[in-house]
Amino acid sequence: MLDFLKKVFTNEKSSRTQANERLRVVLTHDRLGASSQLMEVLKVEIMEVIARHVEIDGTPEVNFVSEGRHSALDINIPLKGR
Amino acid sequence: MVSKAIENQVIVVTSGKGGVGKTTTVANVATALARNGYKVVVTDLDIGLKKLDLIMGLENRVIYDIVQVIEGECTLKQALVKDKRFPDLYMLPAAQTRNKDDIRPDQVKSLCDELRPDFDYIIIDCPAGIEQGFRNAIAAADQAIVVTNPEVSAVRDADRIIGMLESAQFKDIRLVVNRLRPDMVRSGDMLSIEDLLEHLCIDLLGVVPEDKLVVPSTNKGEPIVLNEKSAAAAAFSNIARRLTGEGVDFPDFTENESVWAKLKSLGRNLWSGKGA
Repeated sequence: MLDFLKKVFTNEKSSRTQANERLRVVLTHDRLGASSQLMEVLKVEIMEVIARHVEIDGTPEVNFVSEGRHSALDINIPLKGR
Repeated sequence: MVSKAIENQVIVVTSGKGGVGKTTTVANVATALARNGYKVVVTDLDIGLKKLDLIMGLENRVIYDIVQVIEGECTLKQALVKDKRFPDLYMLPAAQTRNKDDIRPDQVKSLCDELRPDFDYIIIDCPAGIEQGFRNAIAAADQAIVVTNPEVSAVRDADRIIGMLESAQFKDIRLVVNRLRPDMVRSGDMLSIEDLLEHLCIDLLGVVPEDKLVVPSTNKGEPIVLNEKSAAAAAFSNIARRLTGEGVDFPDFTENESVWAKLKSLGRNLWSGKGA
């Protein structure tokens, strides 16, 4: 009962919510077949390639997005206007 | 009895993680199919760690095993063990003193091809893991059943297995959730069916509730599906009916959120200032 009251009156997430959050993270990485470092490496290398040809303006974003079992890289690189 | 020329008749039951209920699912779904008049053979591919014979209560009838069939020491017919209860249910035992590397996927394939004309369904009990045993087990299958528990490590392994089945060009992959406790889902202490489907993104074939009657039935070597008082039995019968193409509704596992859970979320919301 004490445990229950503690749960009610503190803002503790249910273990089910925690399980869902943790699964979302590990499954995304598992499906990609890589660690979270991969995203950083990709970001740096993609930007290097782009910067070789055009001038980058602002902060580029490289994100991993997933829908169902399918995943995609969402790359947003602002370019300097001429 | 002549086979009914069923599509996708070779079914592999797999999970990645061990101990989630693969063998129990194989034994019970096969028994339910046989009870409904289908001719069924179950094949234990967990070579070195066999259990299907024990779960089905047929351990005393085993003479030959699948490795002996493949190596030509006996015929396929000699190795098939007839079930005690249903005349159209057979089991092909695994070998206990050999290992997974003693057979190859192409050998399993030709063995299943030999069984196809004589049976409606061929159900393969896949070993845990993603190695040779898994490759052997999926080689001949037309469709896959992935068994999982509402528990993070089982879900993670199921996801990996689904990925591997998709890479192996499986089109028909369905999920069985075993050992669900609706009371714990309601109190926020267990992943729900909706949660699992959201993570795994495959079709649901069945939900088996946790049932205290399963252990005693396993002790006796009697498939739980034959026990009319069991909630798990009803779930396994429904899975067998859905496999044969019958539309069977899923019971609602979400309704009746308990008073405790409501109070709890009320408390949480009040605390975080969102109001009820």
